[in-house]
Amino acid sequence: MFDPTAVPTIDPNPLPAPYWVFKLLLIVTFFLHITAMNCMLGGAGLALFARWRGRTSAYGSRIFLDIAKKVPTLLAATITLGIAPLLFVQVLYGQYIYTSSIVMAWPWFLVILLLMFAYYGFYFVAHKGEKKPAAAGKVMLFSIALCLIIGFIYSNNFTLSQTPATWAQKYLANPTGWNLNLAEPTLIPRYLHFMVSAVAVGGLLLVMVAWANWKRDEEYAKAIFHLGGKAFLYATMAQYLVGSWFLMSLPREMRLLFMGDNPLATALFGFGFLGAGVAIMLMSRAVRTANIRLAGITVTGLTAAIILSMSVMRETLRDAYLKPWHHPQEMAVSTQWSPMIGFLVLFVAGIVLWFIMLMRYGFFKREA
Amino acid sequence: MNYPVWDVAFGAGLLMALVAGIHVFVSHFAVGGGLFLILTEIKARRSGDTALLGWLKAHTKFFVLLTVVFGAVTGVGIWFTIGLISPTATSDLIHIYVWGWAIEWVFFFLEISAALFYLYGWDKLEPKVHQWYGWIYFWTAFASMVVINGIITFMLTPGKWIEDHQFWTGFFNPTYWPSLAFRSCLSLSLAGIYALITASLIKDADLKARIVRWASLWTVPTLLLLPLCAKWYIGRIPADLWASAQGAMPTGSRFALYACCFLGITLLLALVALVMPRRLHIAFALIVAVAALGAMDSFEFVRESVRKPYVIANYLYANSLYSAAIPGDGGFTVPGVNQAGVLNAARFISTRTLTPANQVAVGHEIFRVECQACHTPTGYRGIHQLIEKRQWDPDKVHAMLGGIYLMHNGVMPDFAGTDAEREALVAYVNSLQSIHPAEIADGHEVYERNCAMCHQVKAADHLFSNLPRDPQQATDALKDLTSLFPVMPDLKLPEGERRALVAWVNTQRAAFPAPAAPAKGGN
Repeated sequence: MFDPTAVPTIDPNPLPAPYWVFKLLLIVTFFLHITAMNCMLGGAGLALFARWRGRTSAYGSRIFLDIAKKVPTLLAATITLGIAPLLFVQVLYGQYIYTSSIVMAWPWFLVILLLMFAYYGFYFVAHKGEKKPAAAGKVMLFSIALCLIIGFIYSNNFTLSQTPATWAQKYLANPTGWNLNLAEPTLIPRYLHFMVSAVAVGGLLLVMVAWANWKRDEEYAKAIFHLGGKAFLYATMAQYLVGSWFLMSLPREMRLLFMGDNPLATALFGFGFLGAGVAIMLMSRAVRTANIRLAGITVTGLTAAIILSMSVMRETLRDAYLKPWHHPQEMAVSTQWSPMIGFLVLFVAGIVLWFIMLMRYGFFKREA
Repeated sequence: MNYPVWDVAFGAGLLMALVAGIHVFVSHFAVGGGLFLILTEIKARRSGDTALLGWLKAHTKFFVLLTVVFGAVTGVGIWFTIGLISPTATSDLIHIYVWGWAIEWVFFFLEISAALFYLYGWDKLEPKVHQWYGWIYFWTAFASMVVINGIITFMLTPGKWIEDHQFWTGFFNPTYWPSLAFRSCLSLSLAGIYALITASLIKDADLKARIVRWASLWTVPTLLLLPLCAKWYIGRIPADLWASAQGAMPTGSRFALYACCFLGITLLLALVALVMPRRLHIAFALIVAVAALGAMDSFEFVRESVRKPYVIANYLYANSLYSAAIPGDGGFTVPGVNQAGVLNAARFISTRTLTPANQVAVGHEIFRVECQACHTPTGYRGIHQLIEKRQWDPDKVHAMLGGIYLMHNGVMPDFAGTDAEREALVAYVNSLQSIHPAEIADGHEVYERNCAMCHQVKAADHLFSNLPRDPQQATDALKDLTSLFPVMPDLKLPEGERRALVAWVNTQRAAFPAPAAPAKGGN
């Protein structure tokens, strides 16, 4: 009856909708979460960079304050949009996530404390940055460092959740939860892959801020655009190195998934690889010619498509790792129709209401 | 057993209580405080009270910084923590209520967005539009509570869900409405209490007095309503669950008493503030808040205590074993583990063979997978302290562990595993102490140490109703407890202690009120 070597048994309650529904929701909401996280962390990092460079550049402090004021809201978006993928990943992969989290329980638990300090730090900078500039820089650095640690803990947990064979040894050596997954070969490149993308997307956030300021103060807008565009360019170029490292660090059979073994994964990888190159070329031209629309619409749109495709690739990779244990076709399904429809209706209504809230606040008026 | 157990030296349960205890105090404020903001804004604008508006603007900042940051992050913290401590229950709740959680997430997203628009919109938006955001904030925050309430109460009283497994049956369970009323009252009450904190910092005494009076309108009536809601709530809890929460250990009845005391103190302090509104000091306002925190957390402890030994009542025990065999349980039930043995069933265990040499080490692992969801060796609900308090020698520990499901009105699940594994657990528990108790002459003390875990001092209790009244006969009867009742632990009390116990029991019996005489008349 019992097989202690297997992964934990999934609980007796069936999936309340077909597997693909949750998979789709997981991919879409993860895409939203990671985009918000990238904007928040990359934006904060670039704001600090602008301030550091401000000694030689006229707009350093202004860019710093301008972006810093947006960071708490972006962190709020990161957290609220992060809840949904964490929910849906637990629906499909709960037995893996719970176990890996328990194996490294203390670092995982500490995410909450670190996040709280980072959050209040960002609020301090946003509200007091003008009056206390010296402290603001240090607090910003502190909060960013905390976010980098949180990201590292996440990378540890999610790589650990994909390697059930390592759990027992790690846990039994230290059941108190003071573990990480440092021996995992993909850990560092995977983590860097996310962090470098934060710089690139943070650059796009600056492009958007530049666009919003284009008519009001073109010189300032161009300074932000220049910083954001360059950040995007260098980070995306660096991503070729980091991404290649990540790819090479994967076990051979998984690497080959993206090199022909799995047509969808290969196509998405190809799209990402070539798309990033196109994005670099377009952004380079946009910065050279001060074409904000090219950067704001085409490059941003292309980047969003690349992030979405990578979110799908991430799932393909997870399923490949968990193939020996994870059998979706064996999971019982009993659709809860009325709650599911209730959610979908409220989800759509919520999006509509959210846009009305943005509109009434004057967001679209400003852009027009 | 299905999952590894996070070994927290001071007690994982304590960690959960800390995270949840502070979260609920802010999350309920997030609901009631939302309505407070919007109604206060309307009141201030209608009366042209610019000073009040000025304070409200600052109060909004305090509100957002507390609820959007601390409240939201600790809310996620509860989720993280329950996943670490009760992964099976979390998995159950996610699969049963993922659509509920997802709906709550939509409300939460709108709530956070509206809160930020409301905060940043103070100087930017027309009053009507600003208030529109305030209303959206309040209704989405309230809707969040409406959803979460269904899932929390489901854990306590799943009702007919146990039979039909239908989403709405479990959601609108027997305690849903009283709990919603109770939490709504708490939310409104906290709105007033938090307002006292920021109001206490105002220098303008007139304005301070106006706010304190207004805040009292939120606090006092709702505090008075709370006992009624609590009565309704308790009335909907199944009698067996409620009975299990009464007794000697810190159970529901004790925390209910704490809740009542703190509630009374909060009300009293709120009335004092109302009587002297101009002199409200920050220290006083914080004391009111601490008293309210005590009341609120005591209530949450009542709920948790009543639910024992379950995480989901009549479905899943606190140690993640299902209370009855169900398809797909993986064998993780008491009978299932009895048959297979802990060492075969548990996944994350280092030794699978029990020998006389490794008995204590294996017992420690069994303790971890089976008991540590609630107990620790020497920390929170520490076994060492419990045994020290009762002065149980190794023989008594052995006897007592034979029937742990009987202790404290059934707040613990039965031991699951083979007899040899139970012996290993006994060996480990005994390794935590070195007690050689002397014989005691105080009958009450004998009762407390040996009987109070299962018996209660009341006429209907078996000990007090069935023990022979003749002292010698009773003393002899207590010699062999299992012959009195087969499930009794086989305790061997010295004759002196038995005599003292009988004398004390007889004293208690004499003090019980006489049973009502049968009615006269009729046939």
